[in-house]
Amino acid sequence: MSHGYNAVGWTPFKKRFDRWMLAGIGLYLIVFVAVSVVAPPDGESFTPIQILIRATGTLAFLLLTFILCIGPLARLTDRFKPFLFNRRHLGVTTFLIGLAHAGLVLLWYHGFSDVNVFVSMFASNPRYDSLAGFPFEALGFIALLIMFVMAATSHDFWNANLGPGVWKMLHMGVYLAYALLVAHVALGAIQFEKHPAYLALLASGVVIVSLLHLYTALASSRIDGGKILNAGWIRVGATSDIPDGRALILQPTDAERIAVFRDGDRIAAISNVCRHQGGPLGEGRIIDGCVTCPWHGFQYQLEDGRSPAPFTEKISTYPTKIENGIVFVNPEPNAPGTEEAPSIIGAPA
Amino acid sequence: MSENDFFIGWADETPRAERRFFLGSGLGLLAGTVAVAGGLAFWQKSPGLGTWNQGAVREWTGVITGQPYAMLRTLDIDGTPKTALLSCLGKCGVAARVGSLEGQSVVVKGSLIQRGKHAMIAVADGMDWIAPSPAAQQVDLTFPDVEPVGPVTLAGEILDSKCWFGAMRPSEGKVHKACAALCIRGGLPPAFYAKTTSGESALMIMTDGGLAHGEALLPFVADPVQVSGQARRWGDLLLLDGPVSAITRL
Repeated sequence: MSHGYNAVGWTPFKKRFDRWMLAGIGLYLIVFVAVSVVAPPDGESFTPIQILIRATGTLAFLLLTFILCIGPLARLTDRFKPFLFNRRHLGVTTFLIGLAHAGLVLLWYHGFSDVNVFVSMFASNPRYDSLAGFPFEALGFIALLIMFVMAATSHDFWNANLGPGVWKMLHMGVYLAYALLVAHVALGAIQFEKHPAYLALLASGVVIVSLLHLYTALASSRIDGGKILNAGWIRVGATSDIPDGRALILQPTDAERIAVFRDGDRIAAISNVCRHQGGPLGEGRIIDGCVTCPWHGFQYQLEDGRSPAPFTEKISTYPTKIENGIVFVNPEPNAPGTEEAPSIIGAPA
Repeated sequence: MSENDFFIGWADETPRAERRFFLGSGLGLLAGTVAVAGGLAFWQKSPGLGTWNQGAVREWTGVITGQPYAMLRTLDIDGTPKTALLSCLGKCGVAARVGSLEGQSVVVKGSLIQRGKHAMIAVADGMDWIAPSPAAQQVDLTFPDVEPVGPVTLAGEILDSKCWFGAMRPSEGKVHKACAALCIRGGLPPAFYAKTTSGESALMIMTDGGLAHGEALLPFVADPVQVSGQARRWGDLLLLDGPVSAITRL
């Protein structure tokens, strides 16, 4: 949370995750290089740099595909939340692997000449008017620039200083980067490597990422809007419908989602959107009296939407009331951090 | 998921269920990593023949020309005349550096790039890569006259000879297009790799009216093309002579 900034806020789990991540990356590179050295027919061999170009290129694409699956998978099952929590390290690592791929390509294919490597990359193949002949390297370069901006601003310092809206918009650029990378691979490597496994892997990556996002978007759109009653109050449901320590999520018309929490006999409503990265607070839990975001563990007090001291995040609160055992919420938000007394179950109306 | 299973990344303790799932999925992902890495590496297109040991620098004696590209006519191991194309260590030709030694007997220093019967010498950096030969040749290595073979129309790919001879493996197709164009732009001889439907293949050095091709050839490099022109034999080299206007993309 935003009390202070360290380069990396290490936790035991984060260390464990990074060890697994590095083991996977190392294993991929070792296996790819070893098989590339051993597999060619007698007398034939790949140049070592070209093996590394292929190893890093395929790995970066696969990692980005996996990263894009984490978000929707974490919406489908809480078990993927730990992957979500550590997605940032995976993203920065993917950028670094992509950077290594680009550096090797610039050196090997565009270096050793009196032409500037960047000029060569954009001008050596002039077929910008052809789909099949398109200079695919340019697409990969633009994707890498987007990933650079994302990696450079991935730290919470930038999230806090740019504001969550701008930060989120910036990081939605990952979808553009992925689309560019798909085109980069389709118009590049796939034009050369004719084994169906390459096309199958590219296509399955695109299909899996698309279907997961589509499915979770549809599931998310099914959240109940509630019935708007007199004076704008929305009926949430019976107090017993809200599990203790958890929330029901409402989607008011043309407004931010509301998470209505129950903590023992207290009922309170706050914005469903975490101030950190927009995580769905209503899918979180109440831990130590605070609503805890399921994505990165940011916490907010139920009664005023403020993070516990010394943290400074604030979200909107909403008035609630209980009538005949039915919970109602007023969809008009209070200013972020405004104290709003929770409704008490069993208290006189 | 029980209440105690709620994962909080910053907490010291990770819930047991999360740890179990993470261990299982981690092992699964590692197994998948091995399978995918092994499969993608195994199914790569064959890299092709060719070798270049840059450390093995030696001297060759022969007759040099800079037209249409820099070449040295020297003696093969079996004592027969052989034409080796010449290049710098990078992506450039050395035709402009032949100068007054054109047609002379010289000693050239460099490393050999070789693919089957095709040879290129990557000459050493600096001024001492070439020197007049101090001794007279026992075998006449003067370049012979060019012999016409006849008109041909061939399908295949335009490559840069240096990469195809062994500087890069693989050295064909779309992924190598920019590099091949850069090499040919730098003065390295373009080569036409003709392939028939019955699987026969031939490598021909490309010329335009007997001279080196210019930059107009570059957009066609590494694309599947058809070329019409005159096939010619020049000693042990096969030439394909024709203008860029005789090239059509397939």
